[in-house]
Amino acid sequence: MSLHLQPVPIATDSNDAESQLVFADGFLVAMLVRLSDDHGDEAGMWFLEAGFGRVDDPSQPKFADLDEAQEWIQRRLDGG
Amino acid sequence: MAGRAVRFHLQTQGGVAMAPVPSHSIDMLIRKLESIARLSDEEKNAIGHLPVTVRPLNAGQDIVREKDRPSQCCLLLEGWACRYQILGEGKRQIFSFHIPGDIPDLQSLHLKVMDHSVCTQSQATVAFIPHEALLELTATFPGIAAILWRDTLVDGAVFREWMTGIGRRTALQAVAHLFCELYVKLEAVGLARDHAYRLPLTQADLGDALGLSNVHVNRVLKELRGKGWITLHGGRLEINDWRELAHLCDFDPTYLHLERRAA
Repeated sequence: MSLHLQPVPIATDSNDAESQLVFADGFLVAMLVRLSDDHGDEAGMWFLEAGFGRVDDPSQPKFADLDEAQEWIQRRLDGG
Repeated sequence: MAGRAVRFHLQTQGGVAMAPVPSHSIDMLIRKLESIARLSDEEKNAIGHLPVTVRPLNAGQDIVREKDRPSQCCLLLEGWACRYQILGEGKRQIFSFHIPGDIPDLQSLHLKVMDHSVCTQSQATVAFIPHEALLELTATFPGIAAILWRDTLVDGAVFREWMTGIGRRTALQAVAHLFCELYVKLEAVGLARDHAYRLPLTQADLGDALGLSNVHVNRVLKELRGKGWITLHGGRLEINDWRELAHLCDFDPTYLHLERRAA
């Protein structure tokens, strides 16, 4: 299963406006948002704004970069 | 969170018995109970003579832990505490915040095993009251037993509001509702006025209480500040526009069942 990212601006009613749609085999599985400078130490991290199906996680993790986020999403999709 | 041994450390230190509490310390309990019911002079006097052991605690210290079988209840005299449970992967759910006058583990009087933990949110002073003394007090004064029962019913009403907040309110409304609730509770025991109070909670605490990520809490606080409805600085919250904030979340303090209502 291969992941595909598509950048898209997002209206979060905050300065967090940069996001990536994450597709797996053409299906939307997650939306990642890059945290703005409003988030202090966590600025620049990628936040799981929404995950669908196996990628859904109420604890909404944050990742240091997109590679880390994709690895996590892939593990979820693989059932890990 | 502090270790399991903490509870025992709280009771004695270096083998030295704790000094008897000055009677004014337990006034906080009287003030709290009078915020939800009327007490006779005789009842107040009896509460004032409860044998208690007072201990100062640091922030983030467990007072009682899940699975413990306490022999005493903890009355908060100063500072804040919360009820919580740790889930898998270190996730935490906070069930309630507690302020001076509250007895967050009152249930241990009748439910022998703790099904959750209680810890301090800030530096705190607590008074431990032996179960035996509370049982004797409630047996001798059925009116006090009824008020403590009333307190647990109000507790249940607050839980219902929190369920609604977690399940059905937007993040903005949930935070606004909590800020309104805390103000009314603090105001009722004389610890807040003019719509301002000390709020010793982190964004993570708010998130763990409301089922929100700290990212959402951060966004919400920024939005509330941006609207000019709140000022949150140095651990102090000022509600600049009570009407707007309360309207946003349909705040109705009926569920707190206070004798005196906040304006």
